[in-house]
Amino acid sequence: MGLLELFRPKSAPRRAEVRRAALFDDDFQKKLESLAIVSRRIFAGRMRADRRSKKKGSGVEFADHRDYAPGDDFRSVDWNAYQRFGRLLVRLYEEEEDLSIYFIVDSSSSMAFGDGKKFDQARRLAAALAYVGLANLDRVTIVGATDEVVSRMPTTRGKGRIFKVFEFLSELTPGGATDLGDAMKTFVAQHKRRGLAVLVSDLYDPAGFERGINTLRFNRFEPFVLHVVDHKEARPELKGDVRLYDCETGEEREVTVTDSLLDDMARAFDDYQKSIERFCTSRQVPYFAADVGMPFDELVLRVFRRGGFLR
Amino acid sequence: MGLSGLPLGSLLGIFGAASALVVVLYILKLRRRAVPVPFSRIWDSILRDKQASELFSKLRRLLSLLLQLALLALLVTALGDPKPKEDLREGRHLVLLIDASASMKAVDVKPSRLAAAKAEAEKIVRGLGAADRAIVVQLGSVPTPRSSMSGDQSELLQAITAVSASDTRAELEAGLAFGRDSLRGLAHGELVVIGDGAYGDTSTLGERVSLEGAVLRFVPIGKSGRNLSISEFSVRRYPLDKSRYEVMLEIANLNDVPADVELELAGDGVVVDVTRLKLGPNERLPRYYQDLAGASRSLTARIKAAPGLDDLPADDVAYALLPERRRARVLVVSAGNTYLEAALLLDEYLDVSQVAPGAPLPDARFDVAILDGVAPSLGERAGSLLYLDPPADGPLTHAAPLEDFGFDTWERKSAVLRFMSMGDIQVAKGHSFKPQAADKVLGASDHGPILVSGARDGHRFVALGFDPRNSDLVLRIAWPLFVLNTINAFVEEDTGYVSSYRTGEVWRIAVPGSLASVSLLQPGGAKIAVPVSDGRAVYRGEHAGFYKLSGGPDDAPLGEFAANLSDLEESRIAPRKELVLAGKPASAVAIAPVSFKSDLWIYLLLAVIGISLVEWITYHRRVTV
Repeated sequence: MGLLELFRPKSAPRRAEVRRAALFDDDFQKKLESLAIVSRRIFAGRMRADRRSKKKGSGVEFADHRDYAPGDDFRSVDWNAYQRFGRLLVRLYEEEEDLSIYFIVDSSSSMAFGDGKKFDQARRLAAALAYVGLANLDRVTIVGATDEVVSRMPTTRGKGRIFKVFEFLSELTPGGATDLGDAMKTFVAQHKRRGLAVLVSDLYDPAGFERGINTLRFNRFEPFVLHVVDHKEARPELKGDVRLYDCETGEEREVTVTDSLLDDMARAFDDYQKSIERFCTSRQVPYFAADVGMPFDELVLRVFRRGGFLR
Repeated sequence: MGLSGLPLGSLLGIFGAASALVVVLYILKLRRRAVPVPFSRIWDSILRDKQASELFSKLRRLLSLLLQLALLALLVTALGDPKPKEDLREGRHLVLLIDASASMKAVDVKPSRLAAAKAEAEKIVRGLGAADRAIVVQLGSVPTPRSSMSGDQSELLQAITAVSASDTRAELEAGLAFGRDSLRGLAHGELVVIGDGAYGDTSTLGERVSLEGAVLRFVPIGKSGRNLSISEFSVRRYPLDKSRYEVMLEIANLNDVPADVELELAGDGVVVDVTRLKLGPNERLPRYYQDLAGASRSLTARIKAAPGLDDLPADDVAYALLPERRRARVLVVSAGNTYLEAALLLDEYLDVSQVAPGAPLPDARFDVAILDGVAPSLGERAGSLLYLDPPADGPLTHAAPLEDFGFDTWERKSAVLRFMSMGDIQVAKGHSFKPQAADKVLGASDHGPILVSGARDGHRFVALGFDPRNSDLVLRIAWPLFVLNTINAFVEEDTGYVSSYRTGEVWRIAVPGSLASVSLLQPGGAKIAVPVSDGRAVYRGEHAGFYKLSGGPDDAPLGEFAANLSDLEESRIAPRKELVLAGKPASAVAIAPVSFKSDLWIYLLLAVIGISLVEWITYHRRVTV
């Protein structure tokens, strides 16, 4: 079963099923199983898993020696060291723990603007990456955010729980205004365990996209920014005297749209995207532009891997 | 400029109300259509730089309002139907008499005089004012109106197009009378004659026609008048040898210079004779062709001259039709009459059967029965009867016996007595008749009728009141002529057959049977119904050529005949530059310039449509919104 089964309505036409299966089929799902999300920092885990941790325990990688204490397991005494130094030393191994990965999916109105491709792309990305995390026994949490955390999928692990991810994402509906600053404040307050925070958003935040990312950074999360972009918004099909209104805030502007204005709009759109990329790069926050026009498997299997987001 | 539609007050009221409505709609239109965008902050960044263009945008919207008000003003002005002041005066009434006579077929102006006349007429019609009215009349042998008195230019132009030239002369007097009658009671009447002015002698026309105040105008057409024509053309069969015929024609050189002419004579479409002739200036050259053979039905004469000498091709061709040859069946009831048998032998187209009186009659139908001294009842066996010395119980009652008498009076125009002199015939004995009221006395002595024609029981007869053998008639050439003339008259094969009719005249063509109307196929191919009066189809022909008559339940052929222009006056095509009536020359026509028409509202409406179209295109291309 492909991941896109998640987004398939019960009464969806057969043709739509075929198209979605072609985009996100079983082969693609198998490829995802061989991937893992890269974390450049080491976070404290809770359960044993495949991630290195700062704890010493029952892993397979040697970490250090310490003096024997009554009650230690004799099997861990390093008898070679005893012969050389005459001291009873116990071998310590690195404990392998799990990693907390948070997927913050922007579910504001702007994500569903137009034909809703951005929101679909965001959910597909979140689902695919969540599967990668679950397959690596990471602790995966997904939240929907607007100007607050509107919904939350409880933390889960193991790829057998992917269906919960599908169910959560399919029930996530767009609506409301964007305020990532406030939403991230709520998020960090709700999630004490630090980890990777993958922000999947169009970053149309009237208060500034920086606030949300900075909130994650300042609270010791490792933010990843997946910027969902629809280039149709760079050059809308408009002409003449119109009254523009923001689909989230309702702010209105009276504009006479001309070809030159549309050219300016395309430049401003490009500048906005570059400003986000510049901000993230300067703060060592991984940034990826996920264009809705780009084939999904190419985006996940090539762009994310080339960018070091997946390995 | 003035208004002939709604008054100015009403127009201002309409404009005020409508402009208020336009302004309201404009204000409503200023509420722009709302379009959602995902993130208005991006727009903010570019709109800050566009503040200067806002002023232009507002100005453009203001221009849009002004444009709409201008459209409204144009529409309201159109409702007022503005016209030049000269068009607001009382209109003229024009009778356009377009000469469509044969001379208008002349090609001295290209493509023809008639085309030039129609072009002039179209100019006049296009220059008519709004209040002017006109009627288009085709001027031929009779004036023919082609339209009603109308101000509708399209109707008048259509009527001008329908004018076609005929092969007749133009009867200007009838045309002027028609125009005068058409203008009676109408103000500012004008009679406009458009033609070549070749209307014969018009010096006394003013005395015969009064225009009753109407102004006569003349538009001259034509440049030169060089012409050669066939002015006469006739053909007849020889009475005693109907396989042969003779032709008489006359060619006229109407130029002041000599002309070489090639005359071609064709029978049934095959050339039978070509002659080269030299005609002096203004010479009329008659030509006779005797003892011709080879044609059984139609004859066509055609002349060709050097280029530049003949501007009118219409009179270069003449048509004639030979009388139809038919073998007549003749029954002779006689005890033996050598003179009669000899006379009948002269016509090889007679099929003669002879029986003795009292003998059984042949069981066949005869065209003519000649009853020599007897008067048996033949019933339907014979169509017509020639009685020679009929008995007292014959068709006519005997009045008195006569001795030593002759023809003191006779009907010289009768077909029976054609080519005959009856004055010196001596008769030994005979008797006179008591004709009935419907009978016609063809010949009589001082003592009473001796040659009578009439009809009994639907059968025509001719009765001679003496036995020819008791006179010297049988020794004269008049005897066979009498017998053959009578037979020919009975079978409608007249030696005096009209070989061609003259166009422009009323034709009376003999029609067999008792039909009320017949069909006439014209040279142009058109078929029309023609009434029959007194056994003759009555029709005024206007085109030269061959005609065919048909009729009856099966539309069976009834005969053919030919028609020719044969009018030397009409062949004189020298154009006149002025038309004088009662010593006063007709004035010229003042034509209004065509460029500016009085129906200004049409142009206003077109302007509105044009501007609206531009507005519509620019709106949908988002140029002006």
